[in-house]
This record gives sequence, C-alpha cells and structure tokens, in this order.
Amino acid sequence: MTELDDSDRDRSRDEVLAAEYAVGVLSFADRKRLEARIEHEPAFALLVAQWEDRLSPLESAGEEMPPRTVYPKIEARLFGTPVAAGAARAGWWHSLALWRGIAFASLAAVVGMAAVQQGLFGPAPPPAPLVASMTGEGSPLALLASYDAASGRIAVTPVAADAGQPRSLQLWMVPGGDAAPVPLGVLPQDGRGVIEVPAALRANLGDGMTLAVSVEPPGGSPTGLPTGPVIAAGQARHP
Amino acid sequence: MPSLDIAGLISKVAMGDRAALASLYSAVSPKLFAICLRILKDRTDAEDALQDVFVKIWQRADRYAATGVNPNGWLAAIARNQAIDMIRARRPAADTIGDEGLEIADGGPDPEAVSIGLGEGRRIDRCMGELAPERADAVRNAYVEGLSYQELAERYSVPLNTMRTWLRRSLLKLKECLER
Repeated sequence: MTELDDSDRDRSRDEVLAAEYAVGVLSFADRKRLEARIEHEPAFALLVAQWEDRLSPLESAGEEMPPRTVYPKIEARLFGTPVAAGAARAGWWHSLALWRGIAFASLAAVVGMAAVQQGLFGPAPPPAPLVASMTGEGSPLALLASYDAASGRIAVTPVAADAGQPRSLQLWMVPGGDAAPVPLGVLPQDGRGVIEVPAALRANLGDGMTLAVSVEPPGGSPTGLPTGPVIAAGQARHP
Repeated sequence: MPSLDIAGLISKVAMGDRAALASLYSAVSPKLFAICLRILKDRTDAEDALQDVFVKIWQRADRYAATGVNPNGWLAAIARNQAIDMIRARRPAADTIGDEGLEIADGGPDPEAVSIGLGEGRRIDRCMGELAPERADAVRNAYVEGLSYQELAERYSVPLNTMRTWLRRSLLKLKECLER
C-alpha cells in the first residue's frame, strides 16, 4: 500500500477501501489487513459499516433452512455443552403478586451476585454463565437469570423488556401519606451492580417502608417523580 | 420479523442472553445461510460459515448499537464477510490494492455527518441505473457472488487495473447518487 501524506487523500482512500471491503472484491491478505483496521480504528469501522448498509439493498439471497445440526454446534462452541435455554412464557407469569415477590427476590439476588463477584472472583473473569431471559407476553419487564456453576448461585437482573424503545427501571421509596415518592436509583442492567442508597435516605429505609419500581425513560424519570407505570410495589420488612 | 425486534434481540445477545441468541438464530439463520451458500456454493462450507457467523454475532453484538445501521444489514454483512473470507482463503487472488480510480475520489462529506438512509431499495435501483449497464452489472455481480477483482476482470475480459478503476468509480458514483 502506498503511503499518502495528504489527509483528504487519506480519507478518500479510506472511503474507497471501505467500499471495496464491503463489496468483497479484495484479496484475502488485503481483507485481513483491513479487518485489523476495522478492529482498531472506529472511524474506519464506521466507514465500512456505512458502506455495508448502503449496499445491503443489493442483497438478493432468498432463504434456505440450515440443517438442525448447526445450532447445537454453535452452542457447543460458545458455551461448552448445548443445553436448551428456553424463555418462560406462561399465564401465571402475569400474576401481580408473583411479580411483587420476584421484584424483591431479584434485588436480593443482584446484591448476592455483586458480593460474590467482588469477594470471591476478584479481577479474574468468571466463566461464561448459563443465562435465561424470562419475560411475559406484553410485560414491560424481563428478568435475566444468570447461573454461575462455580458458586451455585443464580443472579436475577431485572431489565426493561422493550429493547426497541430503551427504558430504565427506577426504584422508588414511597413514604406514604402526602409525601412524594423518593427516587432511590435506576436498576443497573449490566447484571453486576447494585443500587447505592443515598446516605441521607438510609435512615428512612426500615420496616414498613414501601418500595416500588416504575418504567422510565432511559436514565430515569426526568421529573423526579414516577412518570411511567409502576410495575411492582411492596412493603419492606425484616423476615 | 420486524427490524426493531431483531435489534432488540441483538441488544439482549450483547448482554449475554443465550435464549435471545437462539431466537435470533431461528429468525435470521435461513437468510444468513442462503447468503453463505450463494457465495460458497457448497452446503458443508456454508454450514461451517454459519457456525462462525453466529460465534461472531455473539462476540460482536455489543458493537452493533454503535453503528446505528439497519440490524438486518449488519447481520447480512457478518455472513457475507465470513463467506468471502473463506472463499478468498481458498482461492488466492492478487493482493495489491493499487491506486487506480482514486483520482476522482475527492473529499466528500465527513463520514460522521452522513446519515444512513433506511429502505433504500428503490433508490439503489435508480442509482445503479445511472451507471453504465456493464459497470452496474459488475458491481452487482461482485456483491452478490462475492467475486474478486481478478475474477471480475476475467469475466469482463478487461485488465485487472481497468476493472479496479471501473469498480471504484462506480462505487463512488453510487454513493454520490444515494446521498443526493
């Protein structure tokens, strides 16, 4: 490849290279060189993604059913052994009482998982966990269960289910009476975090305090009060 | 499946959701398998390619959101690139990138500023129609069959450098037309 000084010329050269990569006409060695750039240069990767998108209407392949044997091989490569991980879909899933129970169980499990990860594993990456996504028809909430075989623990992370329209799940403290709900934080969706209760509010968190979860715009309610549907609520008490 | 749902599944896959990967496989594997099969022209090779494609989808799903492109196009590109890499590795082609056709590639808009149009199906046909028929044909065959410069040059009986110039100019014209 020729070295070029002029940055405009470099950019137009990159434009052409991205197009050639996306069309697919280059040699194996050239493709490998460009794939290394795609990996390390976000600006170049974006040019390629734009060309791939631009040319995608030329795609004319129909559909062809792959043999049933392919997916188990993919699972075996990614996860070791192929295990059927199904999404739970059943009528009882809609029961509000169940949801209330699960909302609290989830928070407890998330706390447990965070403790496990910080305390036992340290910086070493944990092995890929067994994961199930559980959701109900039309439910704004999904639960991501992640089983860590080493510790025998399942972490259950609540996530807003409608990924097409990003939403956050926000936890509230509801003092009752005329007092307005107080935001405690947005439920972390990375499966690793916990909500840090602001120091000033900790004294209020005790037996009988109602906690609730609402569906909010990404990042939490813009008004400081719940704006979306409250999907779970219940009183806290020491068991 | 609507692309919004596909995008949702990719986001869940990015979070390590195995069930979402299985759903995504059910939804898009026939299309991606057809793409691999058309380029590789061998079922066993296409099955191997499809495995690699889904391993890559699992590994790269977290990067999808940053591209802001149509999810079906993003998935199809992973399948095309995998199949083309396999076929190039098998049938080595000349590997000099060369400078032909670069002289007309002036600056153009900043890539960051270019919005990506969706649903360009009809627009791309109109823009392909603005190219000389033989050159439009070369672009289409390169894309659809995954032909190399060398194979294209042989098919159209022109020198390799001429083919490179044709294709580069055609692609830049196409881009200019699509952004008009």
